[in-house]
Amino acid sequence: MKRVKAVLGDDPEIAFAERRYKMIGGILEECLTKTETGMTFSDKLDKVLLNKYLGIPIFLILVWALFQFSIEASGVFMVIIETALVTVGAFFGTLLEGNEMATSLVQDGIFGGFAFILPFLAPIFLMFLGIAWLEDSGYFARAAFVMDKLLRKLGVHGKTFIPMMLGFGCNIPAIMACRSIEGEKDRMISILSNPYISCGARLPVYVLFAAAFFPGFEGSVIFSMYMLGLAVAIFTAWLLRKTLFKGEPEPFIMELPIYRVPTLRESVLHMWERGVVFLKKAGTWLFLGAIILWFMSAFGPAGYLGIDPDVSVSYTGILGGLIQPIFAPLGFDWRLGAALIFAFLAKEIAVESLGIIFAVEGDIAIGGALAGVFSPATAAAFMIFILLYIPCVAAVGTIKSETNSWKWTLFSVVYSIIIAYVIAAIAFALLSAIGLGVIGGA
Amino acid sequence: METKLSDLKSGNIATVTKVAGSGAVKRRIADMGITPGARIEMIRNAPLGDPIEFKVRGYLLTLRRSEAEDVMVSTEVQR
Amino acid sequence: MTVRVALIGNPNVGKSVIFNNLVPGARQHVGNWPGKTVEKKTGKYRYKGEEYELVDLPGCYSLTARAVDELVSRTYILEEKPDVVVDIVDASNVERNLYLTLLLMELETNIVVALNQMDVAKSKGYTIRTEALASRLGVPVVETIATQKVGMEKLKAAIENAAKSPKPASLTYPSDIEDLIEKLVTILSADASLVTHHPARWLAIKLIERDKEVLEMIQETTLDSKIEEVFA
Repeated sequence: MKRVKAVLGDDPEIAFAERRYKMIGGILEECLTKTETGMTFSDKLDKVLLNKYLGIPIFLILVWALFQFSIEASGVFMVIIETALVTVGAFFGTLLEGNEMATSLVQDGIFGGFAFILPFLAPIFLMFLGIAWLEDSGYFARAAFVMDKLLRKLGVHGKTFIPMMLGFGCNIPAIMACRSIEGEKDRMISILSNPYISCGARLPVYVLFAAAFFPGFEGSVIFSMYMLGLAVAIFTAWLLRKTLFKGEPEPFIMELPIYRVPTLRESVLHMWERGVVFLKKAGTWLFLGAIILWFMSAFGPAGYLGIDPDVSVSYTGILGGLIQPIFAPLGFDWRLGAALIFAFLAKEIAVESLGIIFAVEGDIAIGGALAGVFSPATAAAFMIFILLYIPCVAAVGTIKSETNSWKWTLFSVVYSIIIAYVIAAIAFALLSAIGLGVIGGA
Repeated sequence: METKLSDLKSGNIATVTKVAGSGAVKRRIADMGITPGARIEMIRNAPLGDPIEFKVRGYLLTLRRSEAEDVMVSTEVQR
Repeated sequence: MTVRVALIGNPNVGKSVIFNNLVPGARQHVGNWPGKTVEKKTGKYRYKGEEYELVDLPGCYSLTARAVDELVSRTYILEEKPDVVVDIVDASNVERNLYLTLLLMELETNIVVALNQMDVAKSKGYTIRTEALASRLGVPVVETIATQKVGMEKLKAAIENAAKSPKPASLTYPSDIEDLIEKLVTILSADASLVTHHPARWLAIKLIERDKEVLEMIQETTLDSKIEEVFA
């Protein structure tokens, strides 16, 4: 009787794979003719993009170009969204004329903050469009190839770079994209380190605070927030790899597909798949958050407080007062504390809540009010806290569904609060030491 | 001459003789077309020296140096 | 009655473009495979009065029990037994892509091969004799360029044909391997429930490969010792 070993040797699994490829070779001999075409365009492109000396600089330039594209090209769209919102807001205003409470809800609660926040949809979507284009073109597989060695030193797989890029748009599709990472440990590390990548929803907060407290340095301040987020993400990944998820990253057995020019339809579809996740979050939590915020600020134990109420006696004020002692070392008062609580629903809400609390509208007015009561050191600590503490409620939900574990979700939440507090406190101390702890000083 | 796949230089062409290593990785490598008898060309190292890009069965595949160390090749290529 | 069609293929073959071409975006449903964080996309389309339900299986290179994506695809095909399996093959990378095709043929599925990215194949200097390929594999092969929506009607027609006159694929290996398969099939056939739920030849091949999941399946039967004789 013939045995498996006699036919296929010591390693039948590999031998069987070999037989399959042999069979394919036989089939293709009859069905496929190859004409020598010389170097294809794709090969030529790789000679440059994967060049020993040019590979990394080109990668960095492309990432920079992606950001530039999403910021520069979004200007037009932001103006369109803003104008549309003002028009719709005014329309509802006239519609509800006479009913004070309804007008207050719609104008202050819903349109007041949205007018500042919603335009930031544009950079998020354009970022996703750029990422979809680079991904579908075949370049992202190369980028993972170029970055793998460096990323592996930091404890993650080369492929993690893709969710990291997505995170700059929105952390929710980014955490979902970690699915493409094989290996449980690699995937967990990628998921748990992603929330620190600064998403587009945090941008309105930076824009507001940077303009109010660091005029002339807005660009550098915002850029350093992005860099700090990236640094914390990398540190977290490294820490997890050294402690809770010990071991080597999964193998790097990856195909480099032929370059191609993605069609517009394809890129837009791909952008939409990810963008719609953000829209859903914004549509539910941002909207719901705005209503809860309005309600808690317009009402207090004493009942309805009227238009432009004294928020300190409202439920929002009481809640802010409760957590204020914890944040006193960072220079936060009840107002910033309350903003932090609402920002958990969606980080953009921080802007809206400050508008309501200070009873002013528009980013310039809010900024002015803030600059009158906080020091630049407090502002920096607040931005850092917004950047690092618990991702928004929808992102926490995504961590839960993607890790399939309450334990890791809770870990992520607790760890993020600790790291946010520590780094914000350090920044506050450092900035105070160089004289930025004074209100009105910058 | 038999050598490790990881020792090939850019432009070298070889024939795979043995796929060793541990279970899942070994099978994945074989599924991707690196099986005994396959012609394989080393294209280039990544800019930082690792992973390595190969051409096998008409397409481009990357492996880390540590994974390529488990594949033996013969540099005397037939045809 | 709804015809159930599964879409499968290697990564980077344009599978999602084909899915989008067949099912308009608004009619797509995105969810998860039960208990897995693997995306499951489904959708329906109508063709010649008949309803077709399309399931997008995760992109994969192989069908081992070792990777989640591969196991999801394989389990779906084995347990849900779709009426037609559309295997999308990248014409510009046909050698490696056919590997999955052979694995699907081992599963004795009712296959339609979509030979996609024909334009890229041409630019690479590849000429594929599609009819010869179809007759050599014994399954229908349709040429497509999904990004330009070329060949979509032909693909739908081929799916309709395959659904109307199903023909499970079959694959014959060289005689030395066939001997082994035959021996194992004889032993396996003693367990009626096992071979009615899974193709016997496929079980035999997986046993030769020492597939974890199939080995566990066998351990629950009384065939264990007889099978070990073939390996000893």
